[in-house]
Amino acid sequence: MTAPTLLIRDLTLGFRGWAGQVDVLHGISLHIMKGERVALVGESGSGKSVTARIVLGLLQQLKTARIGGRVSFEGQDLSTLTERRRHALRGTRMSMIFQDPTSSLNPVYRIGAQFHEVLKRAEPGISQADARRKAQAALADVAIPDPARALDSYSFQLSGGMNQRVMIAMALANEPSLLIADEPGTALDVTVQAQTLSLMRDLVEKHRTSVLFISHNLGVVREFADRVYVIYKGRIVEQGRSADLFADPRHPYTRALLAAVPRITGGGIPEIDDVSDSYFAPMVVHEGCEEPGEAG
Amino acid sequence: MTALLSLDRVSKTFTQGRHEVRAVDDVSFDVRQGECLAIVGESGSGKSTIANMILGIYPPTAGTIAFKGEMLPAARTLAHRRAIQLVQQNPLSSLNPKRTVGASLRLPLDVHGLGERSARAARVGELLEEVGLPADYASRAPDALSGGQRQRVAIARALACQSDLVVLDEPTSALDVLVQARVLKLLNDLRKDRGLTYVFITHDLSVVRNIADRVAVFERGRLVELNPTETIFSDPHHPYTRRLIGAVPVVTADEVRLRDRLMENENERA
Amino acid sequence: MKRTLFILLRNPLSALGLFLVAMVVLSAVFADVIAPFPTHAGAVVDFANFNRPPEWPYIFGTDLVGRDLFSRILYAYRISLLLGVVVLVIAVPIGVTIGLVAGYLGGWTEYVLMRITDVFLSIPPLVLAMSMMGLLQPTLTNGMLAVTAMWWPWYTRLVYNLARSEKEEGYVLAAEVIGASRMHVIFREILPNCVPSIVTKMTLDLGFVILIASSLSFLGLGVQPPTPDLGSMVADGAKYLPDSWWLTVFPGLAILVAVFGFNLVGDALRDVLGGGQ
Repeated sequence: MTAPTLLIRDLTLGFRGWAGQVDVLHGISLHIMKGERVALVGESGSGKSVTARIVLGLLQQLKTARIGGRVSFEGQDLSTLTERRRHALRGTRMSMIFQDPTSSLNPVYRIGAQFHEVLKRAEPGISQADARRKAQAALADVAIPDPARALDSYSFQLSGGMNQRVMIAMALANEPSLLIADEPGTALDVTVQAQTLSLMRDLVEKHRTSVLFISHNLGVVREFADRVYVIYKGRIVEQGRSADLFADPRHPYTRALLAAVPRITGGGIPEIDDVSDSYFAPMVVHEGCEEPGEAG
Repeated sequence: MTALLSLDRVSKTFTQGRHEVRAVDDVSFDVRQGECLAIVGESGSGKSTIANMILGIYPPTAGTIAFKGEMLPAARTLAHRRAIQLVQQNPLSSLNPKRTVGASLRLPLDVHGLGERSARAARVGELLEEVGLPADYASRAPDALSGGQRQRVAIARALACQSDLVVLDEPTSALDVLVQARVLKLLNDLRKDRGLTYVFITHDLSVVRNIADRVAVFERGRLVELNPTETIFSDPHHPYTRRLIGAVPVVTADEVRLRDRLMENENERA
Repeated sequence: MKRTLFILLRNPLSALGLFLVAMVVLSAVFADVIAPFPTHAGAVVDFANFNRPPEWPYIFGTDLVGRDLFSRILYAYRISLLLGVVVLVIAVPIGVTIGLVAGYLGGWTEYVLMRITDVFLSIPPLVLAMSMMGLLQPTLTNGMLAVTAMWWPWYTRLVYNLARSEKEEGYVLAAEVIGASRMHVIFREILPNCVPSIVTKMTLDLGFVILIASSLSFLGLGVQPPTPDLGSMVADGAKYLPDSWWLTVFPGLAILVAVFGFNLVGDALRDVLGGGQ
């Protein structure tokens, strides 16, 4: 069996501040196999976004951050890599899509120039013409009607949905093995969000890209992910296949979270506690979704 | 039912350099006394422009807005201001970070001279308790509160004027889902207890389904459908409404079935 | 406040700044007590001890008429600080009010107020001060007047930009919807959010006002003798370099310490209070 694309084991994170240390992650473990779409779902402050930042190697150089546990990418322990090597991985073997596509693109450069930079990360000597050809193909893949025109545009000339597609195309241009999507499309309209999500789903399926999908939106997670980890205050509380977890949520926190989502079939607004001791109940693991190397 | 607020052939055009943008295009509808009317649309639908015109932040380019049968002037009087209140999307920005919660809640009381001067501090405490917060939060700064608590303060501020109509501009979209449920519950209870009228502006149809009596769907500045909530979700007339419902991310099998049924109808009609 | 002080003291540079500022302020306030020869602040002549190098009891030496330099520097600090405080006390309220009004009201008000501000900003400050002093009598009061006239527009610019961005915040809309007056919105809602930046700039400026006042005196246009002033002390002493080096070095150092201290504290405050420009 090959190593998982991403393996996180007992990851802890604390920040040292002037009032002492604040613990953000209390030992979380998760894994993503090749071609798997895995969601990490939780509320703001649950620790889902810092987890993504650690995987990308962006928190390691922060002086106040205390990181424990292990993060392995394609079988390689990230903490043994130098900052340079970690930097070399970003944008090539692993890439990222952010929440707001329009502000993630630089407004003073044309899309084509930014695309060229992205392709240079993996292939430093790539020529202008080759880069343009590749970029056009990538934009065509995300169903942008006139790729040549899009490449000659600036990000502010394109709609939010178009920019999101450009971001997806850029993130996948170097054929990364891991894509980290942090609340993708949250800043977009619902109809556009639905389109870009299904587009992204098709593309990662085609390329067998592994995805770590960070979101607070349970509906979006249900529609995108194969497997789900629910995170609450720095702890994983429940993990399982999307279908199982949504049909049969077992942890009190997951149940509360799901019950709180208003339904388009009606039923009114439920009475739910936003804090409860039961949310700290032990982790629930659905059948067949244990972490590799653990009893199962 | 009587109309509390009536928009009659309202349009709003903005000029940006040589371009003219018609943000709201010939829109007429009533907001009935005691109802929750949802105004639904995506960016560029004109829903925020409508809210701003109702609040009197700017006047319509054409058409009229009447409140309790009386035409609202471009320059609102204090009484007009008092009658229509607002809860904004982002409570982090809507409460002044440099003023205490108590000072923010006292402002409407002072501006409109509500109650005896000496009784106003106590009234601030009451307002906090009415939205489920301890009275002593009055002395706190907004950044000592959680997002949900801040939004409760913003709601209390809107209640302070004892106005009939509250414009809720995406009041829960910046909140986590558990907090959202509790704030929605509070808004619902307040409306029932006090007979308030809400204009609920949102893009979130699943929230609309559970709080609104009627839904007005806007697309590019035009009102494309206005129907009771039941009708909107069981038999939406306009294709754009069906598209909107079809795009809602849902969490249960029942919801998926409803969505699929609506999209099937859409395909049949097409 | 406590937290701000804590953070300032933890950083070695800002702690040094605080120390220097404290030293300058304390010497100015307690000049009467600290100065070994308080009378030397005025017109005293002591030819027996003129032009002495640093030696006890004249730790900074004496000037050409035998006055103790250390005592004169302490009193010069007092004048400089007083000048700085008075200039800011007049310039800041004017500048801040104009900036707030222009930034919040916009339209024609903004256009007129900001063009006036631009005119003042386009005149080189020292030239404005010099021409004013040329027209009027070169007295301390006129010096303050000149410096004030060139100082307020900087606060207008700063606060104008802040007010324009604060205007877009939800709390301003909230106050407007409630029906609060413009006065309330400007001074009770927007102003408190500008205070950190204003305080930061004022701290930095105390150093600059001292520097500008010294420059004016150096040119003979500021504080008039026998009142001690750091700038004129440097100017007078410069003729006797390098033999009587103490005449220029100690007043020069005194200027450096004050300006450097206020700058360090100002920079640190900008970081702590988040009042960037």
